[in-house]
Amino acid sequence: MSSPLPIVNAPLVCWSCHERTIGTHFCSSCGKIQQVLEHSDYFAMFDLSRKLWIEMGALEQKFLQLSWKLHPDNFTNATPEEREISLRRSSELNDAYRTLRDPVARVEYLLAIEGARVEGKNKQQAPPELLEEVFELNESLDELREAKTSGGDTAALKHRLESAEKNFQGKLTEVDGELQVVAKEWDAAVDAKADDAKRKGVMAKLNDLLNRRSYIRNLVVNVQKELL
Amino acid sequence: MGKIVGIDLGTTNSLVAYMDTATGAPKCIPGPSGSALCPSVVSLDADGSVIVGEPARRRLLTQPGRTIYSVKRLMGRGPADVQSELKLFPFRIDPSSNNVIRVRLGDKIFTPPEISSFILRELRNWAEAYFNEPVDRAVITVPAYFNDAQRQATKDAGRIAGLEVLRLVNEPTAAALAYGLHEKQRGMVAVYDLGGGTFDISVLKLISTGEGDIFQVLSTNGDTHLGGDDIDHLLQAFVHEQILQHDQIDFSPHGELAQELRKQLIELKHRLSETDKVTLRFPLPNGKLFEHNFTRGALEALIRPVVDRTMAPVRQALADAQLSPKQIEEVVLVGGATRTPVIRRTVQEYFDRKLHTELNPDEVVALGAAVQANILDRGVQNMLLLDVTPLSLGIETYGGAVARIIPRNSTIPASAQELYTTGVDNQTGIDIHVLQGERELAKDCRSLARFTLRIPPVPAGLPRVEVKFLIDANGILQVGAKDVRTGEEHSIEVQPSYGLNDADIERMLEESIEYAEQDFAERQLIEARTESESILTATAKALANPKAVELAGGERASVQQGVAALQEAVKGSDYKLIRKKIDELNHATEHLAEILMNTAVQTALQGKKVAEV
Repeated sequence: MSSPLPIVNAPLVCWSCHERTIGTHFCSSCGKIQQVLEHSDYFAMFDLSRKLWIEMGALEQKFLQLSWKLHPDNFTNATPEEREISLRRSSELNDAYRTLRDPVARVEYLLAIEGARVEGKNKQQAPPELLEEVFELNESLDELREAKTSGGDTAALKHRLESAEKNFQGKLTEVDGELQVVAKEWDAAVDAKADDAKRKGVMAKLNDLLNRRSYIRNLVVNVQKELL
Repeated sequence: MGKIVGIDLGTTNSLVAYMDTATGAPKCIPGPSGSALCPSVVSLDADGSVIVGEPARRRLLTQPGRTIYSVKRLMGRGPADVQSELKLFPFRIDPSSNNVIRVRLGDKIFTPPEISSFILRELRNWAEAYFNEPVDRAVITVPAYFNDAQRQATKDAGRIAGLEVLRLVNEPTAAALAYGLHEKQRGMVAVYDLGGGTFDISVLKLISTGEGDIFQVLSTNGDTHLGGDDIDHLLQAFVHEQILQHDQIDFSPHGELAQELRKQLIELKHRLSETDKVTLRFPLPNGKLFEHNFTRGALEALIRPVVDRTMAPVRQALADAQLSPKQIEEVVLVGGATRTPVIRRTVQEYFDRKLHTELNPDEVVALGAAVQANILDRGVQNMLLLDVTPLSLGIETYGGAVARIIPRNSTIPASAQELYTTGVDNQTGIDIHVLQGERELAKDCRSLARFTLRIPPVPAGLPRVEVKFLIDANGILQVGAKDVRTGEEHSIEVQPSYGLNDADIERMLEESIEYAEQDFAERQLIEARTESESILTATAKALANPKAVELAGGERASVQQGVAALQEAVKGSDYKLIRKKIDELNHATEHLAEILMNTAVQTALQGKKVAEV
């Protein structure tokens, strides 16, 4: 599933001059912009290994540097084929930067390309340790909706929901903290060239955390909607 | 290829600009009147010809039924969207409108992109006359908060005007480009752009790199139906109400009277930016004079709602960029409405920064468009603009909810892939509904397009079709689909929810030729031939003049040679050659003209006293 790092690409042939090329973005022989690879990944695009800690300053530098070269502005007077490739390449670059810049999206992406992302079977199902609090929260939400339609007093309910929201926001921060810890575990496993079993274990942990996070995030959004 | 111009297609005024390579600065191109502002007003004359700009604006008073202004408000919208505007705008929406609005001018019906194309054509003519060469490529600006349909409608207008639209640039971003070139600013910049009909706020990061300057838009927000027009409406509504109460006269927005009042109120609004008190005196049809004293304070109280409405988008844009007002280093004001003192004061107080107003707020967007045009033409190679999509892109899922696939403020071009499969055996199609907006439910978002993925009849779950949604550098959506197992590309017929299809545009392009003036080269040829005729006649006459004997033999021969060469050139259709021969003949006849001129002067002076001269 996971490939040895760093990624080594198979020999490539330029679409335009048909020479072998070692350039990732531009042909090393003729200089033409190169197509999106079938199996490219966002990490490789920035010359990064598949690790979760990323130096943001360096990422931005690389993003800007590649933008200079790949942006469609550079290809107004080029052939339709090159214009099309530039459009695809620069959109891929922007997608990659958007994903890697966001720590949660980054984990999600890593798991996806490693084939280890399994979304919660039932998104409505609360993680066991949260069951009791979620039950209470849903009750309060129902009461508030009822009070709103019947014109009852909502102040006390709103207050209760506000503190519940704060509570779940806290849990969200907790999950983010846990994600960071496990992300470090992942990076260490990569550095140690750990075996597949070890990697799969770490990825399963990351996957659970992501599912828990999206569950709590949905709760917070729902509460915020009712409190508006 | 010819020059690429930058066009600001505004609600109230439109402009065309180009990069003056001699000075390295962008410059607006003046029209025949000498002004660079072309009022965005179009009028259809009784003889079927189209009048654009200042002459059309004058016809708002005399021919309101054949004349239209602020058509930008209708771009990319459906009839249901504009109901609230009809109370205030004299738009005559035709009942034949479906997913595209159709507007009546006199006895003819036009779509908003067609009307906009008349304005673009006029500006194109200004540019061609200025350069004396054809212009067929342009960068056109749009409000940053324009959605896909509004952008597409603008691009369509360009096509109907016979222009290749190389790029749509967001207006506040264009302004930032013009300022960036002008001031060499760095750091975080906010652009507050309140135009005639639209409001935008954009937050940019200006970065210097080894290769040059990058203008990276971090976030954008706005309201595509908020602008100086709304201030005018509040004023109009106020005065209409006063007149109704005192004189029981009801103004319909369609009448000439309402247009005359609107004109006076706009002038009054402008004057209240300079002075504290202005009196409106408006003669009523009942012979009475309506008088009202306006103070700046009263105007400010009246327009407060408009000012307040701009601040929510400002706060949202800063939140999206994860910045506080204090972190913004420079604030740029764009758009005519930002001349209003209360708006300046409000923005100044919010950011607590000096406001940049050095560049003319009417011209700055067109100037920025010219800079971008030059970047695309590879003139300027040390500037790069990275813009964002203003609205999230989503697809409808079960239960009418929206799954967001490209979040707002994503740098463009941006894309997202979705994998689709079938739910029942032998299912031959999957319906996809694409939306734009921030709301949770499909019915609250803007419908962009619907299409059906065609699938061969196979068992459920077997097909794997990847649909790629791509927002290009213009902020316009492209959709492609691919069978994951076979790698085969699917073709997709996307039916835009609001907009013209290719066949519509082709037809309009053909029809527009009827309204348009002749092709540039043809026009040039006719002018050159007409001029040849008059110079040949004048030369023949001059040579026949008795005084012409003073001309030396060699000179006479060269004049005759010039005449022959011009006569030969006129037979062909090369206007440049004819011009060259005209110039040569003019040159050859200089001495002859001088001789005759002296004679004429002497004749004229004969018999007159010195004092009379």
